[in-house]
Amino acid sequence: MITSTQHSVSADRPDRLSRLTFGGILRSEWIKLVSLRSTIWCYALIVVVGVGFGVLIALTSPAPTTGAVPDAIQGSTAVQVATLALGFTALASVVLGTLVITGEYGTGMIRSTFAAVPTRLPALFGKIVVFGMTTFVVGLVTIFGTALVTAPMLPGLGVTPDFTDPAYLLALVGGAGYLALVGVFALAIGAIVRHSAGAIASALGVILVLPTVVLILSAITQAEWIQRAAAFLPDAAGSRMFAYTAGEVAAANSLAPWQGLLVLLAWDATLVLVAAVLMKRRDA
Amino acid sequence: MIEARELSKHYGSKKAVDGVSFTVRPGKVTGFLGPNGAGKSTTMRLIVGLDRATSGSVTVNGKPYAAHRAPLSEVGVLLDAKAIHTGRSAVNHLLAVGATHGIGRTRVDEVIGLTGLDSVARKRVGGFSLGMGQRLGIAAALLGDPATLVLDEPVNGLDPEGVMWVRSLARQLASEGRTIFLSSHLMSEMALTADHIIVLGRGRVIADAPVADIVALSGGTLVRVRTPHAARLGELLARTELGTQVQVHPGSSTNEPDVFQVSGLDAARIGELAASAGLALHELTPVAGSLEEAYMSLTQNEVEYHAGGTTSASEGASQ
Repeated sequence: MITSTQHSVSADRPDRLSRLTFGGILRSEWIKLVSLRSTIWCYALIVVVGVGFGVLIALTSPAPTTGAVPDAIQGSTAVQVATLALGFTALASVVLGTLVITGEYGTGMIRSTFAAVPTRLPALFGKIVVFGMTTFVVGLVTIFGTALVTAPMLPGLGVTPDFTDPAYLLALVGGAGYLALVGVFALAIGAIVRHSAGAIASALGVILVLPTVVLILSAITQAEWIQRAAAFLPDAAGSRMFAYTAGEVAAANSLAPWQGLLVLLAWDATLVLVAAVLMKRRDA
Repeated sequence: MIEARELSKHYGSKKAVDGVSFTVRPGKVTGFLGPNGAGKSTTMRLIVGLDRATSGSVTVNGKPYAAHRAPLSEVGVLLDAKAIHTGRSAVNHLLAVGATHGIGRTRVDEVIGLTGLDSVARKRVGGFSLGMGQRLGIAAALLGDPATLVLDEPVNGLDPEGVMWVRSLARQLASEGRTIFLSSHLMSEMALTADHIIVLGRGRVIADAPVADIVALSGGTLVRVRTPHAARLGELLARTELGTQVQVHPGSSTNEPDVFQVSGLDAARIGELAASAGLALHELTPVAGSLEEAYMSLTQNEVEYHAGGTTSASEGASQ
């Protein structure tokens, strides 16, 4: 069973090429991400639920009763069909984003990670880059896949998706960006909280519960500033990233898609900063 | 080469490591011994920067661990077998750890072969036995072909064959000029593996010497004495040789009140002293001191958790 210990050492110790690099860390995080079942399940769920929901909506929406549908409504309907599932798939992204880091704290893997990357922060940034990019790509595949699959069904609703309309395409890309950034938000919370259950609960609390709480508060108090502030919550701001804005009647308090992107980025950056400071200071 | 200088780690008011200084030299196996809770694991975590020192410093080959360009090639570390994600296969774990340093498939397969993990390499780590987890931890430590190995309780959970394997691996790596630092709470294990021993008790170094010296340090050879005049002889020995470190240990068994053990004096001297006082001896036997006994006597006041809930005076004082 036990192999001889004769060849434990490469003879050429001094001139080996092995060295810690950020490229290597990215590769390591990629291997870690794709070698876990939870990753595969979460991404599969995002694709299946995303496309499935789009098809369901396209098939069950009622046909228009009166004449031709205006262009702005057509565009906005087409975007909605492709992105409606984000309300659910974002939760899978949140759970996965959290597990990417809390799974390591829970199992003790984080000590292997920090032993290999003792300065620690490159490992955190590597996780964010790899998870963020992968989730963005999965989001793109899901949303564009949904748009393509449902395209033949939409004319029944009086809607013809226009794949040359920049506002339409931007909204679809924005949806994928939202999916990735919400996941990174959760990853940062995971790095701060370090326990899976606590981190998932915290992240979902901010994404799902907080908007409702703010809504109730604003309804009770009738305070306008609360309504205005609510637009800057991570989920509310992020959701503007996949709004179809061409010809939209700008509602009061609503951010432009690029503003929504900046607000969500600011949330992510702040949490990542806190996570980085704590990761550097705390014992692993 | 590992150098610790006045290294301390406090958790709140508890001093896990308390002003420890030592040097672990290349080309030797250095054993790190101490009872449970003595601070061995904390010290090892400080070496690779997983815990931040409260004060003092520790360097590996002249630099803090984190300052090296290829940390995995400087120090291979086995902290505990659980530092592995249970949902991943052994081979993917090693590939992921190695990838940070550009260490690829070839070396991963090499360490898998070396640690005898071939048959389980593709299985998920969650189903591993303690021994298999330990082998995987050692495989990960060897990935970077490191000049220094820090292994915390490497034989924990291994079968006798595995224990032998760790022992010969440690010996061989040391003979190649590497620095080998391994901890254990079993002196007998260290006696077979280590050249040099650092004993830690309650966060402090209580001995740092070659294996042979450790035995001598704690009194060396014991002499078993059986006499009907146990009390008088004990008094006499303690009084006569004040300059030496004479210790009289009462008989271990209560139904033998006439037996006790003496350290710090040889059998001939005890016999002469007894004769000059006119005390009859029924037995006078030198007992070769074992490392285990040496260790027990070194750490008897340093044990953090006594069985049976007995608390020593010194323990109460520091808490």
